[in-house]
Amino acid sequence: MDINEEVKRVKNKRWDEDYFMQLRQPTLAQWPTGKEVDLQEAVEYHKSMPAHKNMVNVLEQGIAGKRTLVQPRAGVALIDEHIGILKCLQNDGDADILPTTIDAYSRTQRYAEAQKGIETSQKKGRSMLNGVPLVNHGVKETRRIVEAVDRPLVVRTGTSDARLLAEVTLAAGYTDFLGGGIDYNVPYTKNIPLELTLFAWQYVDRLVAWYHEQGVCFNREQYGALSGTLLPPGIVAAVSVLEGLLAAEQGVKYYGMGYPQGGNLIQDVAAMHVMPQICKEYMDRFGYNDVTVTTVFHEWMGAFPPDEAQADGVIGYGAAAAALSGATQLISKTTHEAIGIPTKEANAAGVRTVKQVIKMIGEQRYPETNEVKFEMGIIRREAKAIIDRVLEMGDGDVAQGIIRGFAAGILDIPFSPSINNANKALPVRDNDGMLRWMDAGNLPLDKDMLEFNREKVALRAAFEGRDPNYEMTVDDVFAVNRGSLIGRPGMEE
Amino acid sequence: MKEQNTVVLGVIGADAHIVGNRILDYALTDNGFKVVNLGIFNSQEDYINSAIETSASAILVSSLYGQGELDCQGFRDKCMEAGLGDILLYAGGNLVIGKQDWPDVEKRFTTEMGFDRAYPPGTSAKTLIHDLIQDLKLS
Repeated sequence: MDINEEVKRVKNKRWDEDYFMQLRQPTLAQWPTGKEVDLQEAVEYHKSMPAHKNMVNVLEQGIAGKRTLVQPRAGVALIDEHIGILKCLQNDGDADILPTTIDAYSRTQRYAEAQKGIETSQKKGRSMLNGVPLVNHGVKETRRIVEAVDRPLVVRTGTSDARLLAEVTLAAGYTDFLGGGIDYNVPYTKNIPLELTLFAWQYVDRLVAWYHEQGVCFNREQYGALSGTLLPPGIVAAVSVLEGLLAAEQGVKYYGMGYPQGGNLIQDVAAMHVMPQICKEYMDRFGYNDVTVTTVFHEWMGAFPPDEAQADGVIGYGAAAAALSGATQLISKTTHEAIGIPTKEANAAGVRTVKQVIKMIGEQRYPETNEVKFEMGIIRREAKAIIDRVLEMGDGDVAQGIIRGFAAGILDIPFSPSINNANKALPVRDNDGMLRWMDAGNLPLDKDMLEFNREKVALRAAFEGRDPNYEMTVDDVFAVNRGSLIGRPGMEE
Repeated sequence: MKEQNTVVLGVIGADAHIVGNRILDYALTDNGFKVVNLGIFNSQEDYINSAIETSASAILVSSLYGQGELDCQGFRDKCMEAGLGDILLYAGGNLVIGKQDWPDVEKRFTTEMGFDRAYPPGTSAKTLIHDLIQDLKLS
């Protein structure tokens, strides 16, 4: 079987088991550790794991307990150091869910460089990698992480091709895998064809579904934060629903819709309410009646203020927005965010900060006011316009629709480095800080929607006494780092 | 013969962070520079080949993901091998993993690794442009 030929023919159709098993051979051969993967042993291991280490169980408990679950990010080159960090996040932070962030070399399948990174880290006594190269470490070593902690573990990667990574980590005992065919191509790569990424993520979804068929349940978290920069919720929702349809087709039963905090509370609450509703509508339409859809709130994904006290403010606000909007999960940040990778102490402190806010808010929820309902309507209208056009362009096939959609700019994710992205759509905040389109590019918004966006932006322009242009958006990019939400003119660096 | 105001800009290694790159491109262009923007995922050779092709006077390396320290090893030597021994070489972003003493990191990149300037996180486009104008002796 020629994988390249299969990739070219990618379509949204469930892979039967024989086809999938054939594809496993070349996948496991990508790196020597692939030999360690034993599906039968993995199934037995998962069935012997205590319930509190399974992501689906913990998600269901969180939903029943009406409490937003907290997951930080973390990953270093060496296993023992990584275990030390996770224990700190678990014991000092009280994180509900534990991460393993994969390093950037592994994300581009540069396993030889990742190996050098491991060796240099050992020599220098500090991590030279920004994550754990779990493919290099292999199943046995990865399982040491699983055995050392008492929480479910999530693989946090940003790779176009996670096939081998998924095989190794799921076999080792991880119960949640982050990513998707759009969100780990367009915002994360330069010139990888969409067909390849869509196909590779069908593999991950099919693997998760295979385990489900054996009675082992995993969650599939979608990386909805995309480029993490000023994303109007309509495009976030559209991408999330489209990836959900691809996942459900392969047999995924637990799907987390990712969303990056925008910063205007009404808009964020509206997004958290309406995104799962839109997703369920389309899942029902296509006959996927048994998928549990949850939400994942990524708190502020843009540039952070360097002052740690100000950073704490950002972190607290994100926690409040997640709890008040009823998000299932919150991915937390730290006061070290401006410099990048935090110490484990700062990371655990970030978890404590957000948990304090979430616990104090308890079951309080921001009510669905007329303003929230109105914004829900805007998001729904925009998302459906995009999703429906994608389905049209694909003649009903989601995968082909996505490929043609990006080529036509019907799908356009602002601030993406990929050649697949049109880069015509430009976002900006309106005078209330809500995220709107300054230029909707080729997004299929109708005249009324375009006029709505234009008016909102014009109001801000009039207030600020300047024309809406790229500078306004740039100011918005820096606003939070400089102490505000809206990038008003004259804000100093 | 160098094109004094031509600069090669890009993000190095396996790093996909593009936002700052787009903003720097815009700011540099606005201030009269000719920007050869390589986007993300660049090897040292990518910068050097572009610099040769365009007779650029400076290479601006962005790194946001912490692995810049690995990716920038040997960069100045490669420039010398390629006949660009005296090209201006800057690095900026989140150049190392975690919170480290900035003077140490700066020394590592400048004194040890041969970069002309290194910048910590939060450096403004204005600062970069000011230093370029000064170092390139532009008016």
